[in-house]
Amino acid sequence: MAVEATFELIEAAEQAPVLALRGDWTVDTIASLEGELRALAAKLVPGAALDVGQLGRFDVAGAYLVDRTFREGAGGSERIPVRGAHGHALALLAAARKSAVAPAAPPERTHGFEGFLERVGRAFGGLGHEIIDTIGFFGETLVVLAKLAVNPKRIRWVSVVHIMESAGLNALPIVMLLSFFIGLVVAYLGARVLGDFGASVFTVELVAFSMLREFSVVITAVLLAGRTNSAFTAEIGAMKMRQEIDAMRVMRIDPMEALVATRVIAMLVMTPILTFAAMMAGIFGGLLVCWSALGVSPAMFFARISETVPEQHFWVGFVKAPVFALVLAVIGCKQGLSVGGDVGSLGSRVTASVVQAIFMVILIDAMFALWFLEMNW
Amino acid sequence: MSAEIAIRVRDLVTRFGAQTVHSGLDLDVRVGEILGVVGPSGTGKSVLLREITGLDAPTEGEITFPHAEAAGRVPRMGVMFQDGALFSNLTVLENVEAPLREHTAFSDDLRAEIAALKLSMAGLNADAHHKRPSQISGGMRKRAAVARALALDPELLFLDEPTAGLDPISAENFDSMVRELAKALGLTVFLVTHDLDTLHAVCDRVAVLYKGKVAAIGTIAEISAGATGWVNDYFSGPRGRAATRAAGGG
Repeated sequence: MAVEATFELIEAAEQAPVLALRGDWTVDTIASLEGELRALAAKLVPGAALDVGQLGRFDVAGAYLVDRTFREGAGGSERIPVRGAHGHALALLAAARKSAVAPAAPPERTHGFEGFLERVGRAFGGLGHEIIDTIGFFGETLVVLAKLAVNPKRIRWVSVVHIMESAGLNALPIVMLLSFFIGLVVAYLGARVLGDFGASVFTVELVAFSMLREFSVVITAVLLAGRTNSAFTAEIGAMKMRQEIDAMRVMRIDPMEALVATRVIAMLVMTPILTFAAMMAGIFGGLLVCWSALGVSPAMFFARISETVPEQHFWVGFVKAPVFALVLAVIGCKQGLSVGGDVGSLGSRVTASVVQAIFMVILIDAMFALWFLEMNW
Repeated sequence: MSAEIAIRVRDLVTRFGAQTVHSGLDLDVRVGEILGVVGPSGTGKSVLLREITGLDAPTEGEITFPHAEAAGRVPRMGVMFQDGALFSNLTVLENVEAPLREHTAFSDDLRAEIAALKLSMAGLNADAHHKRPSQISGGMRKRAAVARALALDPELLFLDEPTAGLDPISAENFDSMVRELAKALGLTVFLVTHDLDTLHAVCDRVAVLYKGKVAAIGTIAEISAGATGWVNDYFSGPRGRAATRAAGGG
């Protein structure tokens, strides 16, 4: 294996010093010598020579380090006088000398408080642009959808169905499972808190109201934001990076129609279905708790729901599903198309996609809640 | 030229399902030579490269490195992939520094200086140091990729289609850069290419892969002399003749 790299400075009176290299001077062995050679450079007066007679393996990194030591020494930029014989030491020293170049200084960046202010400013400026861009993209999507509605033959049904399966149907188990657990939790909460007031029978209403109006649709949308939005952004972003989007454009295939509209349509179809499944699963979870903890039989449970929970609560929850679907698909596709040339931008766009989608879901849900409250629905 | 063997491939068989790519392939690459590997698309040139570098395992057969193994070493390899495969979230200089950072204990200064040296050897100047791979041209990316492949001073250098997608002048410059570097640093180079000009300008010997075996190996003159079938078509077709003329041959 590699022999340790060593050196010796032979200084004789009346004579220029000679730096004798021993052992292997390769990329693996020279790291520890750096400091010692720096200190030695000063002693290399003009005329100092290099002895490579006992040198073992030698490579470009080794040659560079030796060459640098001589350049930094008082000998300056003269050619190094070499003594002793070695296979390719001369060629390597010449190559290292010829190509040596200082690394460019990194581009200027503002640091400290000023830099912090700059970053904050840029972030807010970027936020404004992002909002305007997204609203613009939303409008563009609506135009494309309107055109497709007029001319439905142009809808790519094969990819729509494919996306419905991967983004919708495959999410069904996880959406139902989560909603089921939320239903359980809400029912336990109701049984506990309402029980303190002797009103535990209202747990049925609590489960039905909360699952129908809010939880099912929000859980579904948040899950889709994490699961489907990231997929949309990553797929379209990767296509953008590999110039597939450019290829579509030059073939006069509109990416808005081929990629964005198909995803929006698939989501518009699947999100309400998933929401409905989530409602059923959540209510089933509540039913199990009412049955086991409160002794409310399933028959009683359903009878009470149909008696005391008007149908409008179902619709209040359900109408939000297509709105969420549209917002999610638009954000996912928009972020995908904004991916640049490098991996970093793909990562940050996927993150932005998921964060924006969840943020918008919660925000829109709050706006709906206010509106429904005012309307007394 | 030394007759020592850097890479020895014996009885190599590669199968992907029902498709046989290599059927008993033998190949010797000598120390210090530049071996060009050619063959029709789909004859497993890149697969052979991946198997020698250990990225894929062959179905049967063995690949050894007699020269390095005799000295008790595992040979160090540098690979330049077809599209460069530079890390896109690092700058060009950081890309070349990456293997050094991982495998050496150099100070930050020395590491950056050696990376700059390698880039300069590959023909990239300091302007490119702090650019991202997506901000430089295809030719510059290939040079940066060679610099990264050379970062740890490998003894074996693998180049996969180094001149594909370059304009003729860039390709010519790239060819002479490869040859100069290989000869100055004493590298053994395994070069997969389709570019006849590269074969003439760079390679000491050429191996022709055909139907899962090495159909011919030797200098271009030797191969052309005894060529039949595909090999003959390859070197005596219009492009082959033009490249031979350009190289000053018959």
